Amino acid sequence: MSNSHAFLNDARPTHQLMMLVCLALIPGAAAQIHFLGWGILINLFICAGTAILAEMLILKLRNKPPLETVKDNSALLTGLLIGLAIPPLLPWWMSMVGVGFAIIIAKQIYGGLGFNPFNPAMVGYVLLLISFPVEMTAWLPSPDLATATPNIIESIQIIFFGQTSSGANIIDYQKLADGFTMATPLDHSKTAFSLGNMTSEIFQNSQFLKGTDHWFWINLGYLVGGIYLLISRIIHWHIPVSFLLSIATCSTLLFLIDDQNYLPASFHLFAGATMLGAFFIATDPVTASTTFKGRIIYAVLIGVFVVVIRTFGGYPDAIAFAVLLLNIATPTIDHYTKPKVYGEKIEVKVYD
Amino acid sequence: MNNPMNQLVSKSIATDAQYRIKGGIHPQEYKSLSNQQPIASIQEPPFYILPYSDLNKGSTTTNLEIAQPVEQGQILINSELANLSSVVHSPCDGVIADISEFDLGHPSGLEQPAIKIQAMPKSELERSAHADSLTDQIDYQSLTNEQLIKSVHQAGIVGLGGAGFPTHIKLSAPKDSIHTLIVNAMECEPYITCDDLLLREHPQSVLKGALIAAKTVSANRILFGIEDNKPEAIAALKTAIENYFDELTSTQESLEIKIIVAKTKYPSGGEKQIIELLTGQQVPKGQLPSSLGILVQNVATLEALNKAINQRQVMTKRLVTITGNLVGKPGNYWIPFGTPVSHIAEQLEVNLEQLACFIFGGPLMGTRHSNLEIPTKKSTNCIIFDSAYKTLEYPAKHQECIRCGECELACPMNLVPQQLYWFAKSQQWEALEEQQLFSCIDCAACSYVCPSEIPLGSYYQFAKSEIKDIKNKQIKSDLAKARFDNREKRLARIKAEREEKRRKAAEARQLAAANKTNDPDGKKSAIEAALQRVKAKKENKP
Repeated sequence: MSNSHAFLNDARPTHQLMMLVCLALIPGAAAQIHFLGWGILINLFICAGTAILAEMLILKLRNKPPLETVKDNSALLTGLLIGLAIPPLLPWWMSMVGVGFAIIIAKQIYGGLGFNPFNPAMVGYVLLLISFPVEMTAWLPSPDLATATPNIIESIQIIFFGQTSSGANIIDYQKLADGFTMATPLDHSKTAFSLGNMTSEIFQNSQFLKGTDHWFWINLGYLVGGIYLLISRIIHWHIPVSFLLSIATCSTLLFLIDDQNYLPASFHLFAGATMLGAFFIATDPVTASTTFKGRIIYAVLIGVFVVVIRTFGGYPDAIAFAVLLLNIATPTIDHYTKPKVYGEKIEVKVYD
Repeated sequence: MNNPMNQLVSKSIATDAQYRIKGGIHPQEYKSLSNQQPIASIQEPPFYILPYSDLNKGSTTTNLEIAQPVEQGQILINSELANLSSVVHSPCDGVIADISEFDLGHPSGLEQPAIKIQAMPKSELERSAHADSLTDQIDYQSLTNEQLIKSVHQAGIVGLGGAGFPTHIKLSAPKDSIHTLIVNAMECEPYITCDDLLLREHPQSVLKGALIAAKTVSANRILFGIEDNKPEAIAALKTAIENYFDELTSTQESLEIKIIVAKTKYPSGGEKQIIELLTGQQVPKGQLPSSLGILVQNVATLEALNKAINQRQVMTKRLVTITGNLVGKPGNYWIPFGTPVSHIAEQLEVNLEQLACFIFGGPLMGTRHSNLEIPTKKSTNCIIFDSAYKTLEYPAKHQECIRCGECELACPMNLVPQQLYWFAKSQQWEALEEQQLFSCIDCAACSYVCPSEIPLGSYYQFAKSEIKDIKNKQIKSDLAKARFDNREKRLARIKAEREEKRRKAAEARQLAAANKTNDPDGKKSAIEAALQRVKAKKENKP
């Protein structure tokens, strides 16, 4: 007997790639847990567990081997990404709805890993954001600003029962020492601009600065993880670099036009989910463009949309919307950015 | 040494490659397994199995009969000079044991026509004059190009780099169309070291072969392309070239000879890749290297060419790398074509107990086999017996493509392999052709880097053969349709003719019937006829 293909393969297998991406989330996730509390960790468990169970359930229904397939770790990654995107004390069933929708509808209904046109984590996140806007924007302030921070038991109680045994609910933990509530810096600046504040005024607010500070550290954590992914060649530079450059360029342009109504690039780059988006979300290979040029166009446009929606749109952050918008455009981008095949571009030289 | 050309060239015989190729991979080399030992020979096998033709096109056999004695070097299968096939010679003295179909390792499992020869060594006295005539020394410089090409054809030389393309066809390029001969010594695939060893031990022979090839196509430049992982071969070749220039007289036509050393990277030895590495040019799509004025020949082919022209030896054996961790005596051996793998395995102490399958060729472009009775062919440059290959079939189950794009980065032809995969999987043949499937050089770099372990190369091979099949069927059905249309036309014509005939006959009958009613007993017409005759007689009289 013979086989026409000798077949030598020496690549890091998919399940290992996915696991390494999950591990690369650790610095960012740790910073997030450190600044925003145990709720994040609990969410991560809820989301990862739901993702794996939902994936196995659907695989079973689709007559695919559930255990074997779930080991590719892609569902785990989707769960973790949603867990990191949602506020720390989101009610458990909302997290489950979001993750379940992501896995069942956005991923498995389309055929599972490799077949989904949209980034499942972002589909789940957007579903939650437009269905439960209040809960989805209920972020906690930095521990040094807050009057009280929930400990691990209190976090569990709020997530599962809505209030702690002493009767405190999420509103109490959102309050700052001065009685105001505090959202994310992006949220805060959006509200401040709508109230007629100038950029310089916003940046004079010490509470805002402290809030910005901890988001800076969280973003730095994801940047570290992202650089690890780049160095170990799990992802390539095209998407994160073009994405970050695009955000920096767009926001700088706006800032140059009017430095009192727009935020500087340094703020855009280290606020919200920028770094998580750059290295962990926009880089999802399944839903991103695959050609060299296509990836750059894809990432640049995501960056443009992020700045545009953050600045002019109704939502404080925009990674999810921008990524989903570009997911739709991916097949078109791929179509028009096909590389020139060897020998195609060369004009025939005549020798005589 | 007063030739300015000499000095110019001698100064920088070896230079680093100026150009790069896209993509490529760096698999572990495993070359030291087989390149530490000098070239050797193995004992002759008891019998040989010789395929009619490696290319299986247009060959005609001489009228061989079973039990017919044959001599070493005797032509068994002849072919026309213009045909895309090669002459096959007997590798031994012996008798024809069988002419039938054998498993020659075709992936479909189909048996193919071949000749089995039982070896019967003759004593020197028994040898006929036939063998002696081949020992005449001749100077290739005195031969015309036509004579050279004819000799190459008669020696049965094909490209030994792997593709097995008949060399005489390549050398028959139109006059003055070629200016550069590229000698492919890259040997970029893991495990294989036969070109490396050939250059280390017989650099002069290779160089002479190159000079003959260059003369045949009137090239004035010879570029040796070699990877930097073969320093010994580079040094040996350099010395050979230097010696050649020392011997060169000033009467010699100007000829530039250079060694270009490229960074080790697979597949720099692909024909299109070596051209780009050495000249910076890409062969235009759908054209041959000759469109750039370039001819590419493999090291081993040139060595065979030298033997054929300078020593009048026909090609009945080649250097084969026998390697892998299951081989007791790995190395490079002169192995006659048609030697069964089982004989090689026995001679070189292959651990057959642990052997699941063996590979003909390299681990990327080669083929897996499990039948030890298949013979080596002209294109067999390497046989790997390694425990790493645990099954004949690679894992049939692979994970889904996650569009990671690694294959695209690895593709030396700048294709989008994952896109090809989707189309191949859904059997969208037209889309595949649009995506330039036929630019794929089967290097399998994509399979190597795929995290989902998809045997992409295998998908493309399948798609290519399916598309070719469909096209052949299309041609056949077009022919059949044309035949059918012609038949319909012919039938219609015959019918019309018959109709016409019938109509005329009917008219005649009607006329006859009408005459009958006017002249019931025929008297009237008889009188009429008589009167006519009389009238004619009268008129004829002067």
